[in-house]
Amino acid sequence: MSRKLTLEITVNGEAHDVLAPASATLLEVLRTQLGLTGTKCGCNHGVCGACTVLLDGKLARSCLTLVANVGERAVTTIEGIAGEQDFSPVQRALIESGAVQCGFCTPGFVIALSALFAKEPHPGREAIRRALSGNLCRCSGYVKIVEAAERLAERRP
Amino acid sequence: MEFVAPTTLEDAYRALATEEALCLAGGQSLVAMMNLGLASPARLVSLRRIEALRGIARQADGSLHIGAMTTHAELAELESSAAGPSLLAQAARVVAYPAVRAQGTLGGAVAHADPAADYPVVLTAAAATIEIGSPRGTRRVAAREFFRGIFETALEKGEIVTGIHLPAGPPDARAAYEKLSLVAGDFAIVSVAAIVGRTAEIAIGGCGPKPLLLSEVGLSDEALLAAGKRLAVVCDPSDDQRASGSYRRKVLPGLIRRAVQAAMVRS
Repeated sequence: MSRKLTLEITVNGEAHDVLAPASATLLEVLRTQLGLTGTKCGCNHGVCGACTVLLDGKLARSCLTLVANVGERAVTTIEGIAGEQDFSPVQRALIESGAVQCGFCTPGFVIALSALFAKEPHPGREAIRRALSGNLCRCSGYVKIVEAAERLAERRP
Repeated sequence: MEFVAPTTLEDAYRALATEEALCLAGGQSLVAMMNLGLASPARLVSLRRIEALRGIARQADGSLHIGAMTTHAELAELESSAAGPSLLAQAARVVAYPAVRAQGTLGGAVAHADPAADYPVVLTAAAATIEIGSPRGTRRVAAREFFRGIFETALEKGEIVTGIHLPAGPPDARAAYEKLSLVAGDFAIVSVAAIVGRTAEIAIGGCGPKPLLLSEVGLSDEALLAAGKRLAVVCDPSDDQRASGSYRRKVLPGLIRRAVQAAMVRS
């Protein structure tokens, strides 16, 4: 049995006190304690990308991140991506391109693309494909997702 | 399970001195193994807060001292014309996926020593040295001696990989890393790291429990193919879900030639 720890983590700009076993992943805490179920659990060992979040703006698998090891790093989940708006530009682009099928992988793709566009405003197809290489879509809707990102790259000033 | 996050190496050594304690570096392999029930440490010692394990320092001779907690993403950004650093940066760019590269570390991957991983191969080719700390002090082990088998290294109980010393490589030498995998980000079926000066230092991953080394290989097509074919006969690659051992033997000579030729055309 894992010893329980009292921790403070900051998620989407809000500080939360959590009581969790030392072995709990950030993914478990997000979904079961904080009710942030937009982050999905697919494979639970770092391959599928459905649980991707940002830690201080850097991509991270929340299933491979122990909540005890988050520390002072700010967590951003899919719920924090749009902020005050209805949807972020990345989300809007995916909707407009019909790049969502069952939707299970979509939060991870949105986070991966958000990280890409934060670093590179006008990525080309190769950069987009590289940025998405760690996200699996089992509906295999990759073409539409890449097209959505390309359209967004063209549209941005 | 207990979790501790010391800020100094001394405190980390103390925390490690119990049964069933493990270091947590970037967690990209260890946490996956914990989630799958393949690892269940009684205590985890997070190395995240230890400043002494961070940073890349360039030495006067062009070699690099790289802190163990340096991430793959940080290594991927290394711009260097020297063969050793160039080889490591090329490998870092093809380790797993962007999210894993942002969190996973050089020291973690080295200590984990997955036989299909990228760094054991490049550190063997580049004749790097692994720096190992413990309460008894620091010792240095050549990468060519450090990797001993499947998840087996020269690390002893209570020791921590604190850094890597990466030689620049011979003047005017060039380097290339060729990784054959099913999809981008997967582990290699076979990988080849080459440092090419007047002759080539070539390390091969995926064809046995630890990296194989071909030293001072001639650069002609015939010499490369002959060395590859000789190695293909004597090596013992396993059959797994990615490829059969006989497939690995078959692609090995061509991949060796491709790595050396890629190095020769790099500027």
